[in-house]
Amino acid sequence: MNEPQEIQFNIYHPVITYEHRAAYDLIVSQLQGVFPICNQGKCKALEVTDDPQKQKQINDLMEKVEFFSDSLINITKVFFDQLYRAKETSAQSISQSMAKIKIDMIERNLLERTCDVRWWALEKAFWQCITLSNAATSRKGAKGADASALSSAVEMACTRLEDIRNCYTLYRDLVIVNAQGVVVASSNADRRSQVLGRDVSGEAWFQRAMKTQDGTEYVVQDVSPSCLEDSESLIYATAIRAEGDEHGQAIGAMGVLFDFQGECQIILNDYLPSDASGETLDGWFSFFTNDKDQVICSSDQHFIPFGDFPGLPKSHRSLLKAGESIVSTAIFAGNRSLLVSHKSAGFNEYTGLNWTSHLVLPVSAMFERSLGRNDYGLTPKELMNSRLIPESNRQTYQEIQRNKGDIQLISINGIVLATDLGKSGKSFMPIFDQITETGSSTTGKMELLLSEMSADMLQQNLKALENLSKQAIELIDRNLFERAADVRWWSTDHVFWESLGAQGGRSFDEVNRRLGIINASYTMYRDLVIADANGRIVANSRFENRERLDGMTVSDHGWFRQGMQLTRSIQYGVQDVCKSDLEAVDTSLVYCAAILENGQRVGKPVGVLGILFDWKQQALPILEECLPRMKGSVVLGGAAFYVNRDKVVIASTDEANFPVGQAVALPPENTKLREGQSASGVFSANGRKYIIGSSGSHGYREYKGLGWTAHVVRTID
Amino acid sequence: MLYSTFSLGRIQLAVPIHTVLEIVRATHFHPVRGAPELIDGLINLRGKVVAVINTGLAMGAARVEVSDESRIYIFKNSKELQEVSDEPVDPDTSPDNLGLHVDAIGPVIDVDKDELQPVPANMAHPFYQHVVRRNDDFIIILKPAKAVALA
Repeated sequence: MNEPQEIQFNIYHPVITYEHRAAYDLIVSQLQGVFPICNQGKCKALEVTDDPQKQKQINDLMEKVEFFSDSLINITKVFFDQLYRAKETSAQSISQSMAKIKIDMIERNLLERTCDVRWWALEKAFWQCITLSNAATSRKGAKGADASALSSAVEMACTRLEDIRNCYTLYRDLVIVNAQGVVVASSNADRRSQVLGRDVSGEAWFQRAMKTQDGTEYVVQDVSPSCLEDSESLIYATAIRAEGDEHGQAIGAMGVLFDFQGECQIILNDYLPSDASGETLDGWFSFFTNDKDQVICSSDQHFIPFGDFPGLPKSHRSLLKAGESIVSTAIFAGNRSLLVSHKSAGFNEYTGLNWTSHLVLPVSAMFERSLGRNDYGLTPKELMNSRLIPESNRQTYQEIQRNKGDIQLISINGIVLATDLGKSGKSFMPIFDQITETGSSTTGKMELLLSEMSADMLQQNLKALENLSKQAIELIDRNLFERAADVRWWSTDHVFWESLGAQGGRSFDEVNRRLGIINASYTMYRDLVIADANGRIVANSRFENRERLDGMTVSDHGWFRQGMQLTRSIQYGVQDVCKSDLEAVDTSLVYCAAILENGQRVGKPVGVLGILFDWKQQALPILEECLPRMKGSVVLGGAAFYVNRDKVVIASTDEANFPVGQAVALPPENTKLREGQSASGVFSANGRKYIIGSSGSHGYREYKGLGWTAHVVRTID
Repeated sequence: MLYSTFSLGRIQLAVPIHTVLEIVRATHFHPVRGAPELIDGLINLRGKVVAVINTGLAMGAARVEVSDESRIYIFKNSKELQEVSDEPVDPDTSPDNLGLHVDAIGPVIDVDKDELQPVPANMAHPFYQHVVRRNDDFIIILKPAKAVALA
């Protein structure tokens, strides 16, 4: 037997189902019925033979039967405990990863926001507008030509802010504020009349932004009220500096209002089970709290409103370490619930806002029978001996098998003995028949329960892999959305259209320099290139590639051809992962946008901006994060990979088994996925059996996805 | 009469229970130098040394491997069989106890004399004695004395 441990789920525990309690009663009463049978056998031994050796043999057999029945009764007691513990452990582990997924998702999003604001604040239209506004304020108002210059600068700044918001749709508003804290331009035309002229000098984000040292610094104001909006705002801000110089004096500030509530609602409601009408099931909640333990967003505003201190146990409120997590059970919203809390670990250099993600589900949900399909071609024995089943359950299974074998052996040897006793031995036969019957019926029942459990475990694991694959595709979709936003915004830079325009005249040195500045603040691009309307590379961001790229003809490149078809600044194109002349070694994923004549929003392309996304460097960490884990470590034989439209692997954590550049033979239902659809299953590859969860890309906001699928697998043998 | 059934791969076989002395788990065999390959080795059964035949190899099927389910039939020697039999003992019966290593044992079945059918000619085998029909399956009754005589 395994190490004796305290029984956590005894048979009277409220979560034990009626069927299981009935099975327990039946098994125990049948086994207890064996003892009187054995006793009867011992008495009979004296009646049927005078041979003391034969009497001893019979008594020995009876004692052995008693021993094994007793041992089976003991196994039965821990058996149900183990069944429920296994379900509990697996459900907890899945819930923990769900809480983590949610906070990771928002953290990655917030990291992108920090890049954005720093870069935008350098825009010429903004510092020019602020400079004029500050001058007018110091003269106590602008008159005549000054007034008209200021008014057209404000108009220009508003237009540029609008352009940003059109590309990066996850902002509710973007504002620029002069040195006195007065809002001078805003992106949201619908609310502009209310916002312009507002005084934000008393708000922390403005005060802190004005104190930043240089263009690399930014500030963030955690979710709180602001005079700019009716709902609570999450504001990223930085200083606008004189002449757009990174080290210049702070002359004003830029504040960007992230659509935090909208974004969180998507993330919080994701992965929560829902009924047929799409409503989240009762007792399931997901919410974020800030460093003061106040709710900042929740999946259910009624039970867990903004600003509330939810009734969480103290241990869930005192998570200190980044990435720390805790699981416990308590009464929550009237239900006995499993509570999972996961503290933000930040992401890369971004340390996060010390938020905590919480997931609440009814305890009973952990022990529900899963009703999914179960025709994966795995035998119960194969499943029971697989890695999906915890070691303790596998040991119990083997022990039951062994006891079953022992009881059968004793019975047959008893029958042999009774046969040898001739006629007098006949009265023994029913006793051994009874023992055989009880032995196989009780162990058969236990095997049935174990196979029921292993089927549940399979379902749970398939669901977990599906969730992980969904996370993998969502993270890449969100990442690529940002790329699509970046390329659209950058392509509107005045330096680019001015140098490519009809008048031209400007040297491309400045374009190279400008591209270099952009690439320095965004680490995920290997290079940024600009081709003129004839398809000739005229500028790029990386000095080390310049000699190789300068003058290269790209008129037959997919990205260039797509880019030249675009006529609106809000459009973009993308060339799927492939080999390209632009790269010396690696495969590229190139996003492109047209550079439009005179910087118009709709117009004729005068060139194309291509941005070479560092695909592998970005995709691998995401895939690694989505690997199946148990107690914090990746499970043996776990792997994750992305597959493109042509079923070819484009990134993989396990190049030995799922190499990049090769097609992988997956079950058709795992590759023929509609947008946003998930599937799971079992397949064989490389001589091993795997379970798999897969999800199809459904894009994110304006980014429509490239028909990729994400797959997370683990071996079961 | 009672028969103990066992399986060899997908074939069901049976031996008369009165010829069995005991059935034990297959654990460790002591190797015998120079013995034919079909002998798994010797086992010690309460002081008796018993040679064990690998039934799979003896019947030209796959070797029976030691597993949680594999078992050894120990057959009575001619003297022990004489003590419990009312009828004359098969002259082929070995004067020594011998063992048969099988994949797994099945239930004990009671077979009436009139259920015993002759082995069809196309299935004939020196070890086969009768065929019994159970549900949709056939169970072959072995002549254990014959098999054991091989050793």
